[in-house]
Amino acid sequence: MTDRILLNAVTVNGPTVSPGLWAHPEERAHEYTSLSYWRDLARTLEAARFDAIFFADMLGAYDVYQGSPAPALRQAVQVPLNDPTLLIPAMAAVTEHLGFAVTVSTTYDQPFPVARRLSTLDLLAGGRVGWNVVTSNLPSAARLYGLDRELDADERYDRGDDFMAVAYKLWESSWEDDAVALDQEGNVYAIPDKVHDIDHEGPFFSVPGPHLLDPTPQRTPVLFQAGSSERGRQFAATHAEAVFLNTPTAAATKYIIDDIRERAERLGRDPASVRFFPKLTPIAAATDEEALERYRDFLSYSSTEGIFTLLGAWTGLDFDEAGPERLLAFTEKAQTRGLVEALRRGDADRQWSVDELASLFAFGTSQLSVGGPAAIADAMEQFVQETGADGFNVASIIQPGTIEAFAEHVVPELRRRGRVQAEYAPGTLREKLGEEGPELRADHPGRAIAAGTGAVPA
Amino acid sequence: MTKQLKLTLVEGAGPASDSGLWNHPDYATNLFKDITYWEDLARTLERAGFDAIFFADTPAIRADTPQARAHALRSGGLPRLDPAYLIPILAAVTERLGFVITSSITYDHPVALARKFTTLDHLTGGRIGWNVVATNVRSAALNHGLTEQLPHDTRYDRGDEFLDVAYQLWNGAWDDDAVVRSPERGIYVDPGKVRAVEHEGEWFRVRGVPISEPSPQRTPVLFQAGSSDRGRQFAATHAEAIYLNANTVAETAFLVSDVRARAAALGRDPAALKFLPRIIPVVGATQAEAEAKLEDYVARSNPESAIVTLQQWAGIDLRGRDPEEELDLADLQVKGINSEHAADYLRRSARSGERFTVGDLIRMYAFTGGAGNVVAGTPGQIADTMERWVREADVDGFNIAYMLRRHSIAEFAEQVVPELRRRGLLAPEGAAAGPTLRERLTGAGPQVPEDHPAARSRTRREAPAG
Repeated sequence: MTDRILLNAVTVNGPTVSPGLWAHPEERAHEYTSLSYWRDLARTLEAARFDAIFFADMLGAYDVYQGSPAPALRQAVQVPLNDPTLLIPAMAAVTEHLGFAVTVSTTYDQPFPVARRLSTLDLLAGGRVGWNVVTSNLPSAARLYGLDRELDADERYDRGDDFMAVAYKLWESSWEDDAVALDQEGNVYAIPDKVHDIDHEGPFFSVPGPHLLDPTPQRTPVLFQAGSSERGRQFAATHAEAVFLNTPTAAATKYIIDDIRERAERLGRDPASVRFFPKLTPIAAATDEEALERYRDFLSYSSTEGIFTLLGAWTGLDFDEAGPERLLAFTEKAQTRGLVEALRRGDADRQWSVDELASLFAFGTSQLSVGGPAAIADAMEQFVQETGADGFNVASIIQPGTIEAFAEHVVPELRRRGRVQAEYAPGTLREKLGEEGPELRADHPGRAIAAGTGAVPA
Repeated sequence: MTKQLKLTLVEGAGPASDSGLWNHPDYATNLFKDITYWEDLARTLERAGFDAIFFADTPAIRADTPQARAHALRSGGLPRLDPAYLIPILAAVTERLGFVITSSITYDHPVALARKFTTLDHLTGGRIGWNVVATNVRSAALNHGLTEQLPHDTRYDRGDEFLDVAYQLWNGAWDDDAVVRSPERGIYVDPGKVRAVEHEGEWFRVRGVPISEPSPQRTPVLFQAGSSDRGRQFAATHAEAIYLNANTVAETAFLVSDVRARAAALGRDPAALKFLPRIIPVVGATQAEAEAKLEDYVARSNPESAIVTLQQWAGIDLRGRDPEEELDLADLQVKGINSEHAADYLRRSARSGERFTVGDLIRMYAFTGGAGNVVAGTPGQIADTMERWVREADVDGFNIAYMLRRHSIAEFAEQVVPELRRRGLLAPEGAAAGPTLRERLTGAGPQVPEDHPAARSRTRREAPAG
C-alpha cells in the first residue's frame, strides 16, 4: 500500500449533488447543461491534482418513496439526469492529466457499441478513461427499457460477466498492436490478418467483431466497480481495478475491502492492485469553527424528502410506510442489499427510527468530515489507516463550492504531510494510479478471458 | 430574391472518408485522432458559413464478405470513432455551427437514443441534428444481438415505431414549465407537469418518466437519407432535411418532387423540407487545373472500392469481369438485402435506354456516391453548377463531401465560399443566425412545426395527467 491518498471527485450530470441543496444560493449544479460549467470544474480539479472525476449515473427515476417519482422530481434527486459520457470529451480537451471514470450499465445495452464508446473516449482523452461497470437494478429503468421488472441480482451479474467477456475480447485481442500499417504508398491502412474477429458465443451475447477501433492508449479502460452485495463483491474481485464504496462506517468499509481483496487473491490477483475509494463528504473551511457554521448552513437546506427518496431507492423500502412509532427493521429485499447488509453489520438487532436515518444520511450515506485543514486531514489519514482504503471519492454538498473549499483548505495540508501528489505521474490513468504499464496487468482475469484461456468465474 | 444555400459538410470519424483517397500525399490521414484537427475544422466551417457538420456512420465494419472485410481494413474503413463524442469538443469552440450525427433506429434503443440527443442538444445550446438511418449492414445486425438482418421494409416499420416512441419521450412527458427551481415553493421540478410515457407497440414497450428535462429543440432536427421507395415515404413522413446521393440533376429533381409530393399528401408543408444533394467539389484556378486534379484523384482511386460499393449498394458483382462488357441492368433486383437507391437509379437509367459497361460503372463509383456527385471547375463554375441544381432540381443547399481531408475544405472555404457570398447565395461572415439548428435551417421556431408527426405527442402533453 502506498502512502499517497488518491482523490476522485464524484458527481452526476444533473442539478443536485446533495438532497435539497439545489436551493442553496451558492449551488451552481443547475448549470449542468452548460459545457463551460463542466470545463471549469475540470480545470479546478486538475489544479488541485485530483486523480479523476467520477460520474455516477442512473437510467430511471427513483420511485420507491411514496410509490411515485414525484418526490425525486420535486427535489431533483437523480432526475433530471443527462448522459454523463458526453461531458468527457469537452473536459478532456481542457485538461492534460485528470482522469474520467464514468458509469455505464451492462444491463440494457449491448457490449459491442459500449466497447466502441469507451474506446472512443479513451482515444479522445489520451488514455485517461475509467469505466464504472454497473448492473442496473432500478425497476423504473426496467420499465423504460421494456421489462416488467428488474432482473434479479444473479441474472444481472451473469449478464455482466458475459458483457465483460465480450468487452475484453474486443479491447484486448481484436486488434494487434501493429495492425495499423498506415502505409500510404502501399495502399494499406490496416493489415487484415492482424485484425481478428472475436466470435464470442456466450450465454447472453453472440458477437463476431471485429472491434471498431484500433488499440487506444489503455486498450481496456481502468475498470471501476461499486457493488457491495455479496455477488457484487465477487464481480468486483474478478473485474475491478478500483472499487467505489458507499458504506456508512469505517468497520463496514474495512469489511468490504478485506473481503474483496481476499476474493481477488483467490483469483490469482495481487490484492494490492485493487484500489478502494470510500466516499467522503468534506465540509472544509479555514477553521473548525467556520466549518461548523458551514455545516449548519448546509443542514438547513437538507431535504428529508430528498433523503428518503435516496434511501428508498437504495433499500427498496418505502419510508413513508413506516409505522406509527416511525421505527424500521430492515427486511430482506431482492434489490440493493449492500446498504442493508452494512447497517446490519454495525448492529444486527438495532431498530432504526426514520428520523435517526434521516439525520444519519442528511448528506447521503457517505462519511461526513467537518472541520479545518488539520481536522479533515486527520480524519482522512485515520480512515485510510483503519480500513486499508487507497483514497477517497470526494462527494459534494454544493458544486463546485465543496470541491473548491476542499482544494483551498485541505489539499495543501495533505500535501504538506506528503499524502497527496504535488504533480501528476506521467502516462495514462492506469499509470497515474500507480500501475507500471498503460494496459491491464498480467494477473488481471480479463487478459485470460480475452485470450480465450480463462472462464469468468461464477 | 436569391435563395440562400444551406451547407453541411459530410465527415467520417475515421481515417478514410468517402473519397477513398486516404493514401493521397495531401490527405491528412490520421488527424481524426487529434482533438485539435476537429476544433480547427469546426472553426473553419463556422467562418465559411456552413450550417452544420454531418457525421456519416455505420456501427460495424461495412463488410459482409471476406473480400469486402479485407478491403475495408486495407482502405481505412476502420477504425471509426463513435461520432457523438466529437460533438462536445466541436460545440465548445463554436457558437452557430450545427452538428448532425447518424444513429441507427435498427440497433439502438429509443430510450437510450433519446437521452443521448437530449444531452447533446443541451450541451450544444440547441444545435444538434439526427441523421436517422435504418442500418443495412449484416455485420452490424450480428454485432448488436440480432441473429439476422431485418428485411428492408421491416426495418422501416420498426423505424416508424422507434420514432413514435422517441417523439413521445422528447415532447410528451415534460411540460415547458416543469422545471421551476423555486426555493420558495421548495421544489425543483413540478411533478404535476411531468407525466409518464406509456407505449405498448409491436417492437417497443416503454413505460415511465424519461429522466432528462427538455432541451432547446426538444426533438433534434431530423435528417434522412434513404431514397428507396419505402425510404422516401419514411423521409416524407419524418424528415426535416433530406440528404440525396443522386447522380444527375434529373434524378435529383425526380426525388425532390416525389418526396415533396408525398409530404404534402401527409399534410406537411412541402417547402419546409430541405433537400441537400451531396457534391464533391474539385476546385481549380482554371477548368483545366480542376480537371487535372480530378484525373489525379481518379488515378489514385482504388477500383476495388467501386467493386465493393456496387456489390453492397446494388448487388452487382463485377469482380474479374471485362471492363468492356456491357451490362443489362433493366431488371436489377436487390430488394430485401441492402439499401436500394443505387439499384433503383441504375434500373431506371437502363430502362430509359442508357447503357453501362463494367468500366463505366467502376469509374462512376470511383468515389462513394457516384460520379454525378463530382463537380470540378473554377469557383465560378462550381457556383454556377450549384445554382443550376437549385433552379432545376429545387434543392435547398448541398452536403459537401471532400476528396482530401483538410486540404479540400480549406480550398472550398477560401475559393468557393467568397464566390457564393458575392452572389448572395451565402450569408456574409459573422451574420447573425438563429440560436438553434432548426431555426437556422428552416427559419421556423426551435421545435418541430405543428404539421410534423412529432408535434402529435405534444397534444398528448396537454391532455389531463393520467
